[in-house]
Amino acid sequence: MSGASTMSARLVRIATWLTDPVFLRRALTHLLIFAAIIGVWEWAGRTGRLNDLIMPAPSAIAEALWRMYFVTGEVYWHFFVTLYEAVAGFFIGSAIGAGLAIAAALSLTFRRYIAPYAIALNVTPGIAVTPIFIAWFGFGWSSKIALAALIVFFPVFVNTLSGLLRTDRDTSELFRSLGASRAQTFFKLMIPNAAPMIFAGLKIAMTSALVGAIVAEFASATEGIGILMQRYAHKLDIAASIAVLLSMALMGLFLFTMMEIADRRVVFWQHQNRLDAMSRRRRRRWSGAAVAEPARA
Amino acid sequence: MIQGGMNDDAIPGLPVDDSPFWKRALKHAAILASLLVVWEFVTAFGYADPLLFPRPSHIFASFVPLYVTRAIVWEHLWVTMATVMAGFVVGTILGIVLAVLAGLSETIHRYMKPYVIVLEAMPRIAIGPLMLAWLGFGFGAKLAIVTLVCFFAPFINTLTAILSANPAQLELMRSLGASKWQTLTKAIVPDAMPMIMAGVRMAMASALGGALVAEFISSNKGMGVLLDNLAAQLNMSGAFATLLSLTIIGYVLYALMEAIDNRVIFWQNDRGLRRVSARRRRRWEART
Repeated sequence: MSGASTMSARLVRIATWLTDPVFLRRALTHLLIFAAIIGVWEWAGRTGRLNDLIMPAPSAIAEALWRMYFVTGEVYWHFFVTLYEAVAGFFIGSAIGAGLAIAAALSLTFRRYIAPYAIALNVTPGIAVTPIFIAWFGFGWSSKIALAALIVFFPVFVNTLSGLLRTDRDTSELFRSLGASRAQTFFKLMIPNAAPMIFAGLKIAMTSALVGAIVAEFASATEGIGILMQRYAHKLDIAASIAVLLSMALMGLFLFTMMEIADRRVVFWQHQNRLDAMSRRRRRRWSGAAVAEPARA
Repeated sequence: MIQGGMNDDAIPGLPVDDSPFWKRALKHAAILASLLVVWEFVTAFGYADPLLFPRPSHIFASFVPLYVTRAIVWEHLWVTMATVMAGFVVGTILGIVLAVLAGLSETIHRYMKPYVIVLEAMPRIAIGPLMLAWLGFGFGAKLAIVTLVCFFAPFINTLTAILSANPAQLELMRSLGASKWQTLTKAIVPDAMPMIMAGVRMAMASALGGALVAEFISSNKGMGVLLDNLAAQLNMSGAFATLLSLTIIGYVLYALMEAIDNRVIFWQNDRGLRRVSARRRRRWEART
């Protein structure tokens, strides 16, 4: 069936890509460079050329990672708390940001009267509100979620608004002359048109949500990866704090990848291979599953 | 940043407000005043906790002790501004120079990329406590944190812009016999300038936040410390006054960047283009 043939075609494609000599050479060079950096660093640490308090050797960091993930397992709960705070803040902040942006795009009056406040909010470093939020919402999770939401708000608001305002005049003329209702114009023209920009904003927002949650934890918290990091740094257990830092990078990478995947799914027409996949699927659906898929060039 | 969305380019088909400027300003002021009055009375009549939502009149009143009678804000302000400015200058210059060096060779760029991606994904501010452990509680750690926060946006934007240089333009430079240096300074960098400046503006926008975080976690001076102390003492009107001061500082920095931006990439806006071409014409006429 067509499903199986695409599957094997994909496998063949991956196999040719993996055995491509250029790819192999580059991967090998990457590995060699990485190994060289680690090796020199380890050597300098072992021979006492690096101060343990400043730059612990890679083996010490690896050991700290091992301890925290597999022996004590303390990192998981903190990891979860921060992830939860960041994601909750992300959803709240981007819902408010996108909602207000849609209102501002549809109504010039609203846009005009909200503008000074949006500018004021933009130029105030959101992080500065941390102490006030902690006084308002306490030392628990809610102050972190609130800060993440605040930081997320602006990039989503601005990107949604300018995406919606960038609606093509000729196309909207066409929509009008074809007798589209306002709702149709909004959902079939303005939203798809703005989607790439909205997603660009959401991607920025996701990483800053994590920053917001971590900074709020620095200011005061009892759990979360930020406070874990600070505790280790205060104990001058630098190897462990670098290990936590690496975990944060991992979390950031994970959240960013999630957004990237969502972007490629939703705004599929911006990515050539997703566009191909989508049109293949639509063609299949259109012509019925019985029609074999023609070979792709 | 904000011009993209906040201009008056209406969506076609929607009405346009073309009332004169003073009328609109008056409306803005009226809206703000009514918001403040509502807030004032909501708190004054006890519908909101004055400890959490101080009355606007109290907020404005606490500007006086902060700036005039006790005048405690000035030393904090000075420390924060020094950190922001120093970190911004060091971070952006480092970012741009390293990106130009990395962008010149595709090999260097290729093998640097994974590290850049990891660093990009990592919340930079998170390095704060580590910097403190390394550099102590003084100015050095704060400077390092702000530098780090300011480094990435210019670095990544410069690198992207240089790598996406127009090949036809490079071809032309080569066929005209330009040296590598000339190609860099006359074709690649001017072409990359708008993107570089966008990165520099992002850096400026995050510099103040970086300095505040550095002050929250360490330090005994700076606006962050002041804000933290006032909020911890539940002097919320003072905390709000400090926050408003930070808004104003943020706006000043933003306006400053905007002015620099208009000067550096003058060809991107009509006024700058006219100004520079008038100057060049004058100089040209004086010569002939």
